[in-house]
Amino acid sequence: MAAQQTDVDELFDVKNAYYIGSYQQCINEAQKVKPSTPEKEVERDMFLYRAYIAQRKYAVVLDDIKPSSSPELQAVRMFAEYRSSDNKRDAIVEDLDKKMTKSVDAANTTFLLMAASIYYHEMNSDAALRTLHQGESLECMAMTIQVLLNLDRVDMARKELKKMQDQDEDATLTQLATAWVNIAVGGEKLQDAYYIFQEMSDKYSSTLLLLNGQAACYMAQNRWEEAEGVLQEALDKDSSHPETLINLIVLTQHLGKAPEVTNRYLSQLKDAHRTHPFLKDYLTKENEFDRLVMQYAPTATA
Amino acid sequence: MLTKFETKSARVKGLSFHPKRPWILASLHNGVIQLWDYRMCTLIDKFDEHDGPVRGIDFHKQQPLFVSGGDDYKIKVWNYKLRRCLFTLLGHLDYIRTTFFHHDYPWILSASDDQTIRIWNWQSRTCVCVLTGHNHYVMCAQFHPSEDLVVSASLDQTVRVWDISGLRKKNLSPGAVENDVRGISGVDLFGASDAVVKHVLEGHDRGVNWAAFHPTMPLIVSGADDRQVKIWRMNESKAWELDTCRGHYNNVSCAVFHPRQELILSNSEDKSIRVWDMSKRTGVQTFRRDHDRFWVLGAHPNLNLFAAGHDSGMLVFKLERERPAYAVYGNMLYYVKDRFLRQLDFNSSKDTAVMQLRSGSKFPVFSMSYNPAENAVLLCTRATNLENSTYDLYSIPKETDSQNPDAPEGKRSSGLTAVWVARNRFAVLDRMHSLLIKNLKNEIVKKVQVPSCEEIFYAGTGSLLLRDADGVTLFDVQQKRSLATVKIAKVKYVVWSADTSHVALLAKHAIMICNRKLESLCNIHENIRVKSGAWDESGVFIYTTSNHIKYALTSGDHGIIRTLDLPIYVTRVRGNSVYCLDRECRPRVLTIDPTEYRFKLALVNRKYEEVLHMVRNAKLVGQSIIAYLQKKGYPEVALHFVKDEKTRFSLALECGNIEVALEAAKALDERSCWERLGEAALLQGHHQVVEMCYQRTKNFDKLTFLYLITGNLAKLRKMMKIAEIRKDMSGHYQGALYLGDVSERVRILKNCGQKSLAYLTAATHGMDEEAEALKESFDLEKETIPEVDPKAQLLQPPPPINPLDTNWPLLTVSKGFFEGAIAAKGKAGQMAADLDMEAPGGEGWGEDAELQLDEDGFMDAQDGLGEEGGLVKEEGGGWEVEEDLDLPPELDMPSGGGGGAEDGFFVPPTKGMSPTQTWCNNSQLPVDHVLAGSFETATRLLHDQVGVVNFGPYKALFMQTLSRGRTCYLGLPSLPCLRGTPPEELE
Repeated sequence: MAAQQTDVDELFDVKNAYYIGSYQQCINEAQKVKPSTPEKEVERDMFLYRAYIAQRKYAVVLDDIKPSSSPELQAVRMFAEYRSSDNKRDAIVEDLDKKMTKSVDAANTTFLLMAASIYYHEMNSDAALRTLHQGESLECMAMTIQVLLNLDRVDMARKELKKMQDQDEDATLTQLATAWVNIAVGGEKLQDAYYIFQEMSDKYSSTLLLLNGQAACYMAQNRWEEAEGVLQEALDKDSSHPETLINLIVLTQHLGKAPEVTNRYLSQLKDAHRTHPFLKDYLTKENEFDRLVMQYAPTATA
Repeated sequence: MLTKFETKSARVKGLSFHPKRPWILASLHNGVIQLWDYRMCTLIDKFDEHDGPVRGIDFHKQQPLFVSGGDDYKIKVWNYKLRRCLFTLLGHLDYIRTTFFHHDYPWILSASDDQTIRIWNWQSRTCVCVLTGHNHYVMCAQFHPSEDLVVSASLDQTVRVWDISGLRKKNLSPGAVENDVRGISGVDLFGASDAVVKHVLEGHDRGVNWAAFHPTMPLIVSGADDRQVKIWRMNESKAWELDTCRGHYNNVSCAVFHPRQELILSNSEDKSIRVWDMSKRTGVQTFRRDHDRFWVLGAHPNLNLFAAGHDSGMLVFKLERERPAYAVYGNMLYYVKDRFLRQLDFNSSKDTAVMQLRSGSKFPVFSMSYNPAENAVLLCTRATNLENSTYDLYSIPKETDSQNPDAPEGKRSSGLTAVWVARNRFAVLDRMHSLLIKNLKNEIVKKVQVPSCEEIFYAGTGSLLLRDADGVTLFDVQQKRSLATVKIAKVKYVVWSADTSHVALLAKHAIMICNRKLESLCNIHENIRVKSGAWDESGVFIYTTSNHIKYALTSGDHGIIRTLDLPIYVTRVRGNSVYCLDRECRPRVLTIDPTEYRFKLALVNRKYEEVLHMVRNAKLVGQSIIAYLQKKGYPEVALHFVKDEKTRFSLALECGNIEVALEAAKALDERSCWERLGEAALLQGHHQVVEMCYQRTKNFDKLTFLYLITGNLAKLRKMMKIAEIRKDMSGHYQGALYLGDVSERVRILKNCGQKSLAYLTAATHGMDEEAEALKESFDLEKETIPEVDPKAQLLQPPPPINPLDTNWPLLTVSKGFFEGAIAAKGKAGQMAADLDMEAPGGEGWGEDAELQLDEDGFMDAQDGLGEEGGLVKEEGGGWEVEEDLDLPPELDMPSGGGGGAEDGFFVPPTKGMSPTQTWCNNSQLPVDHVLAGSFETATRLLHDQVGVVNFGPYKALFMQTLSRGRTCYLGLPSLPCLRGTPPEELE
């Protein structure tokens, strides 16, 4: 899955659509394209199924990928299984841990990516980074950057980004990773990040991923009106997209809208995305608050 | 040099441009005078009366006249409107070399091989003066454009300047009578001549072929057989040689001043045209032909056009392109005028100079590419030798003084074309025709292998259009591959619609409209040069040719919107305003009537309410629109327009609208109409109308049959009666047969002498009485009584069960929008909407408004710019990663470990400090702690600072504030989102 920078990549459209978050288009393209080699075919299927995962259509993946399918697709299936059900997660992670202790086929980048994704979901950044470190593809690097940013290690993310840029500066992933790093760096880099998202939506199509990226840039620049426009567009595309809703929660407060408006978005979020990390975090904080209230309350009565 | 038009003919000896119309006269060696339209490239007329070569030719400035002089010693004055020679002036005794009208007086100046120059009055048709003095052929004589002077060139090696003020005073001063000078001699009683030699210019070593005045300065240019072009200067008292241009290597035939620039053009028998710089006296351009010697040059008095005649025809050319370089972004137009880059705000009409361009190129800017993100421009300059072309990269200064704009340092490199491909990248087609991608520092980032191409065009972010000899290719720069190709020869310009969903490819005589994927949607061929175009907001492509503004829909419909006097370059179309630049780089706004194309667009898009609204409210009638609607299959729409009953009738039939057709037929009341209507109505089972039609056309047979099949016995009987009255025996009988009326049949047969048949009929049908009576009437000697066939069967039509009065049932078809509209409109008379047949001319075209330009409006324009400019703070930031990161020492450890992981010792990094943590560390405000999610410290702070103990009521506030702390954005698909941090305003 190394970036094909020399020859024309027949799967470019498929990959590109996937990375910019245009999943349906990715699926469409994947069904259209006729790969020239069996390897390409596996690669195409990989993106196809990952796009289904991104659309939360786990059943398709679980049904389609048979035990006889290639190891790459098995990895995708594992991830789909992990995402599909809460109760099997621990078992899957345990199984994965075992696999990781054995020698891993580093050429199977898909496995690395899927493993790292699971670890990332498990908030096990160490394991994720360790896994990704074995791969050399652009996507491994991109994921590394994402994990690093999540760890607030912008410095290391920039180094990783430099490696990506050395490999292929113009690749979609490199561009996206540049944007993420730029948002994390903040300041003047925010505008650059914005342009990257803007250019991509100009060139391909505007997606929720790109729109929320733009919104994040605007909001980080204190440009709330512009952010509102972008988020409104995102909301029109999908009214229950969790990240859009989270951003709207932020936005409405900054625009000084009535608390009910904000709460509406929050309720929507609670309704549709119980397991979203944001909500998990939110609930934890709520509990913490309650604990604190309790902590101070006795002092008041005393 | 750009050739605009070429003709093939016999040797061209004389040329004259029409001052206003796009016409040129060419006089030929074979005696023919041709009148060409060089814009339409057509021969308008031919005048063939001279015997032998015609060398002198000249249009009159105001009147529809021209004058010619030939080797037949004749000067002829022609009227091109009447298309004939008005009269001939005789007097010269040898070949006539040149003939010119005076710009003001009714005079003609002629030069002849008889060594004289003559001035003629073409109103009185007499010679008013003879200028003698040259002692060889006079090759050329011309009036001064403003003073009373004549310059002449002769094979006696001199150029002479003549003063003709005496002639003017005598002829044209008040009170002067024409008769006084009938004596011709030109010498009055006291021996003073009307025309005297003022200067004799000697310097050429051979015969002089041409001499001409400068339009404004006291200069003369001459060309001679000594292969030299000389410039002379004169004042009141003397004239002297200023300089010589050497370079021609054969006789110089003609030399003229450029009407507006410091240039001289000359041509020669060495088969070349040369352009000389007047101040430097050096040749700047040379244009050669392979086989043809040049004989004459003409300069257009107002336009930048020249013409040259040679051995096998002539050519019309200009020295340089007149297309301004411009780029449009949003509401802003950027264009180059003189040495300035100017910015025009379409909304406010504020026109400001934003920067001064670096000088140094003698060629005008060829094309421009603007980058709104970085507020930077690429200006490409094309040299005569393409390989020497360059481009400049300028960053437009953020703040400029409109009166005295900055001249920022640009970056210049060689390259044919440069266009932006991304915010911080541009593509350069270099002289080797390879593609380079450069960054904002003008450094090469990479080289891209491209299929052979000769020109590149913008095609949105990351893409380019590559033009090769016979097609255009859409090329993705990032993937380095061709995405699509379309065949179209020699595309010159590319115009993208605002949303880049469509592109118009403009070639010299063709337009192709494609979609984003470069699939051809339509092809339009033009006979005249296509100049420019822009997309209007509704997705119609408005383009200009040399003499029209036209429109094209993506469906391929196209047509003329209005005519133009001079070419313009469209920059933007909004509503009924066309914003454009003219050849003087002046922004202008023209008004157009968009009704026609909007109408067609609405039809194509099936927006019928809009169509109907336009039909009712707009004046868009005319045969063309009706024919268009008919052709395109919208006869029901056309029905709305038509007042003419005949057209209405055929349109109504076409769309099967019997009611309307009936109305029209009633109004027309023509046999053929009724017949056609009858046929159509019959097909629809509309037999009441059919009946009416048959009645009107008196088609009794058909009518009878109609009544039979509809079972209308009463009417059928009536028809029989009518037949009887008409003495139509067979019709009568047929009616009886249809009705089964035997006695009637017997009666008919009897009456027409078919007694035996009558008998048989009566007998067979058992009408015994009748039969007997008939039997008796038989003359038995002569006639035999026929045998009655015992097995005869009754021939009796079945009686109708139920006469059919109503029309045949029709399938219920949902009425089309327009039929409904017609029905709603009620009477047919009103349906033909009150449309005047007057052509949509007049007010609709409106007057062309010159843009109100406001130099002082700079501040406003700047405001708009500021927003853009403000965004752009760092060049190429996103692409660069600073190498020298200042890392805190404790952070260096893990990152070092990450780097040295090659041998398997990968040490995962520790968590860094999140921005929210910094808020906590740096702030004592509880709100910052809440935002950071550190409720513990927040509550502590609140407790400590204001003594809050009961936090319960704060819960909602806390939670809400927390949720506002962090934005989120998506990284890789299917992974949890990344969190961003909006800057916290100080509260």
